[in-house]
Amino acid sequence: MSISLHILGIRHHGPGSARMVLRALQDLKPDAILIEGPPDAADLIEMASDKEMHPPVALLVYEPDSPQTASYFPFAEFSPEWQAIRFGLKSRADVRFIDLPRSMRPSGAKPKTADQQPPQRIDALEQLAHAAGYTDGEAWWSRLIEERRGEEEPMAVFDAIRDAMSSLREKFAAPEFQSSRDLEEVPREAHMRRSIRAAIKEGVNRIAVVCGAWHAPVLTQEFLDKTPAKEDDAALKGLEKRKTAATWIPWTHGRLAFDSGYGAGVTSPGWYEHLWVHHDRIAERWLTSVARLMREEDLEGSPANVIESVRLSESLAMLRGRAAPGLEEFTEATLSVLCAGNPLPLKVIERKLIVGEKLGTVPSKAPAVPLQRDLEATQKSLRLKVSADDLLLELDLRKENDLARSRLFHRLALLEIPWAESQADSTRNKGTFRETWKLQWKPELSICVIEAARFGNTIESAASARVAFEAANAKSLPPLTSMLDHAMLADLSQAVASLLQAIESVSAVSADIGNLMEAIPPLAGVLRYGNVRKTDAELVTPIVRSLLVRVCAGLVPACTSLDDDAASKMLDRINHIDASLGTLEEPEFSDMWFDRVLALGDSQTHGLVNGRCWRLLFDARKQDPATIGDRVALALSPGNDPEKSSAWLEGFLSGSGLVLIHDARLLALVDAWVCSLPPDVFERTCPIGRRTFGSFAAPERRQIGEKLKKSGAPTSGPSGARSHAHESDYDAARGELVLPILRQIFGDIQR
Amino acid sequence: MTTATLRETAEKQFATELAALAKADDKPRPAKWKLSPWAVVTYLMGGKLKDGTAITPKYVGNQRLMEIAVATLATDRGLLLMGVPGTAKSWVSEHIAAAISGDSTLMVQGTAGTPEEAIRYGWNYAMLLAKGPTRDAVVAGPVMRGMSEGKLVRVEELTRIPSDVQDTLITILSEKTLPIPELNEEIRAVRGFNIIATANDRDKGVNELSSALKRRFNTVVLPVPETMDEEVEIVHRRVVQLGKSLEIPAAAPALEEIRRVVTIFRELRDGKTTDGKSKLKQPSGSLSAAETISVITSGMALASHFGDGTLKASDIASGMIGAIVKDPVQDRVVMQEYLEGVVKEREGWKDLYRACKEVL
Repeated sequence: MSISLHILGIRHHGPGSARMVLRALQDLKPDAILIEGPPDAADLIEMASDKEMHPPVALLVYEPDSPQTASYFPFAEFSPEWQAIRFGLKSRADVRFIDLPRSMRPSGAKPKTADQQPPQRIDALEQLAHAAGYTDGEAWWSRLIEERRGEEEPMAVFDAIRDAMSSLREKFAAPEFQSSRDLEEVPREAHMRRSIRAAIKEGVNRIAVVCGAWHAPVLTQEFLDKTPAKEDDAALKGLEKRKTAATWIPWTHGRLAFDSGYGAGVTSPGWYEHLWVHHDRIAERWLTSVARLMREEDLEGSPANVIESVRLSESLAMLRGRAAPGLEEFTEATLSVLCAGNPLPLKVIERKLIVGEKLGTVPSKAPAVPLQRDLEATQKSLRLKVSADDLLLELDLRKENDLARSRLFHRLALLEIPWAESQADSTRNKGTFRETWKLQWKPELSICVIEAARFGNTIESAASARVAFEAANAKSLPPLTSMLDHAMLADLSQAVASLLQAIESVSAVSADIGNLMEAIPPLAGVLRYGNVRKTDAELVTPIVRSLLVRVCAGLVPACTSLDDDAASKMLDRINHIDASLGTLEEPEFSDMWFDRVLALGDSQTHGLVNGRCWRLLFDARKQDPATIGDRVALALSPGNDPEKSSAWLEGFLSGSGLVLIHDARLLALVDAWVCSLPPDVFERTCPIGRRTFGSFAAPERRQIGEKLKKSGAPTSGPSGARSHAHESDYDAARGELVLPILRQIFGDIQR
Repeated sequence: MTTATLRETAEKQFATELAALAKADDKPRPAKWKLSPWAVVTYLMGGKLKDGTAITPKYVGNQRLMEIAVATLATDRGLLLMGVPGTAKSWVSEHIAAAISGDSTLMVQGTAGTPEEAIRYGWNYAMLLAKGPTRDAVVAGPVMRGMSEGKLVRVEELTRIPSDVQDTLITILSEKTLPIPELNEEIRAVRGFNIIATANDRDKGVNELSSALKRRFNTVVLPVPETMDEEVEIVHRRVVQLGKSLEIPAAAPALEEIRRVVTIFRELRDGKTTDGKSKLKQPSGSLSAAETISVITSGMALASHFGDGTLKASDIASGMIGAIVKDPVQDRVVMQEYLEGVVKEREGWKDLYRACKEVL
């Protein structure tokens, strides 16, 4: 029996390719399936048929000595390689990976995913696409191969692809198209040929090779005959071999997408999965799931509209001379019919359907990921016990080891691996160098570690990558600043840089002064305590300055027309900023701040805010007491609406009544004002007054009371006397005049 | 040409192009269509036919939008063209009607006072009194004529029409019939009938479309021109055309002058300078391409009748300020900031700065 060698050139992650590969394999019934994949992971191939294995997953190949250099080889359900592996395992064929082992790749190359697509090739695809009248290479390939459902002989299609690729290769063989990437390909293709020769030598009869379409022309029988084995051996000679390890890790559809920086990615994993799963009624099913998603998001997505969008997509396909509508037509029909021209819902559709949010799982018996190993090594070196019991740990950050532990805990928190929980307790108050953590290891944390592994292979790099990822997606300030706090404590200088950049760009467009104001205190905290932590706080100063400039510019307009709730919120923000600027002791910041506080104190806004501004000026001695006294007198003068005056007073006095104890004039002013209130107004403003004075410490209240008593209260009549005077306001004799009439109406109740 | 019309209909103005397209067109045509969908798109986007006839582009922008519009009409769904003023909605609708039905005159102009009769039908009251309600006494409106002749009907400014009158279109769009209860009859639409409506959702004084009506339309949003060059191209093309038809003797304006006005309008519309370096306050007006066109044409008229025939900064300044300052208080602040912060600093814009300063 003669040896038969079949080359199936595919597009990584193409559902049409996967379908054709499957049909071709069913026809060929090969004894061995050789796949373009890392031989380092040969032992792991069998695990692909495990019950717990659900794509998208990736093979991770790394060097145990330097886990940050690693390669990922992702597989989706619809990846041709994945289907080939599964088919091979089921039919008991010999499944092998034949790419150049990771262990033999030149080291020093930056960590990369399985991007076997040099940029020139994409250009080449573009050229073929342009020749066929398409605007973009991906769309052309998608249309021609991946969305194909014809029943033609799969091997014929593979041969056609190989022919196209071999003419492209000829064209791009010219030296001007050569790049370092191409040079990397020489040993890879040599290794693939060597593996094929080895399989033939072993006497395997039917061999199927599944590889990227680009490599197909150089793996054929003719090419093997043409190229002496010696030549390939020469290409592989001198490549040093290093130690590598491999494992399976869960992957996501989002990270299969081209946008995530994955070289061989596809633009629309979710759409490809749809094509893989469904065999008929593609349009109806796709647009129905779009409509269902829109209904979930509380948008209109009626079946009637689905019908119309199916019709529009079909008529568009006809107009463009295509046999059936594709993703482009569906998206346009969705925009035009289902979204009524509004492009916003398309964003959700893109994220949830076209890309998709699917997360894969791997068997629990898969080898530990490098992140796990790094964690274990770190735990060991920091002498941390991993146990399922609760363990309370007090850290003194002045000690080197404790500081490192604290960093580890903060990094794990950023990675959402909740092993250590921060405890805010009494010891915290004793100094900024103390921290208390509660440690408890739970089995599900291992899964968290595996999930976090897609961000990196060491705790530090993974935490940094995770923060950078979140920072790039953040839309508002508060989450960014709280993350910054964590990142600072975790000593992730890289992540801090990306966060600061995100904060800069978000705050530049943010019109919400409230958010900007809330961003300042945590940043100021970082600045203040940066020295204890030995983190580079100098990065933060310019950000605080720019935030403060923006806040100061917008503070007064932002405070116009505040209602009671908004005013008390604003009061908190102003207090917090003032307190945190106080701790910074930067004259430049406080000058800028008090300049605006003064302006705000005089502006037309809620009494609460006005009053507070004057108090801040008083406390900071930015105005002399006489002026402040005048202000209080002005605010409490009878021309004002008493409710505004009492709000003003609340703002001025809230927190501490010391000011009244030390300044007799102020006390007299307040006293006179309270006494001047008519009874009904007094009743209305009483709760605010109670709230204000109630917030003082008991000794303060006592002292104020005593002072008032001592002063003999010349201006204040005792309230009893007032109510008496109030009673005497009416004339009893005149009142009695109506009694006879009332008696007539109600009868003689008296008796 | 003593009694030349001020403006020709599209089908007359581009009759030769339409005829050439019809001759070259070998693709299947939907019932009553004068051209195939492919040819209609070519007519809109421009191109060169096999016989050498050059088709001028009517729409400058994304071809896919025109494909969606034409494909919609081929499915018998109504087409709703949305966009801010000056995005060529009416222009596109006129040309689509001319290309598909060979007739762009069946048109209902939407205003706040558009009555139901304008959309359905009216009565010839003399005949109605003399003979009672008969078919002869019915005065057909554009929609009724379009339905019985199988032609496209345009509804301009749909959102200006009062809501209750808008909803008259629901039966017509979904059932494709127009009942005449007085005669106990109905007009059933012939194949080829469809409606193109234009609407804008930003202006003041619009009546939001009901969801029931919106559902019956496919919506195509025409965007403001994407790039500077596209916008300059649109303005230039229209200005030259207008100059010809209005017989303004001034020489066609230098592209440079158009580019300046377009730059100013774009910067103010986007709220930032073209180099992306500084943010700007935005004025209240929409500053569409249509307004750019009118600023340039009125500048040309000024230049030819009162100036030396070439367009200068002083000719466009007053028109431009008028277009930007719609609100006498806020917009004036915007314009002043812009003049002092951007125009003054820009090299070679001194003349424009001085001219604007004089007017403001």
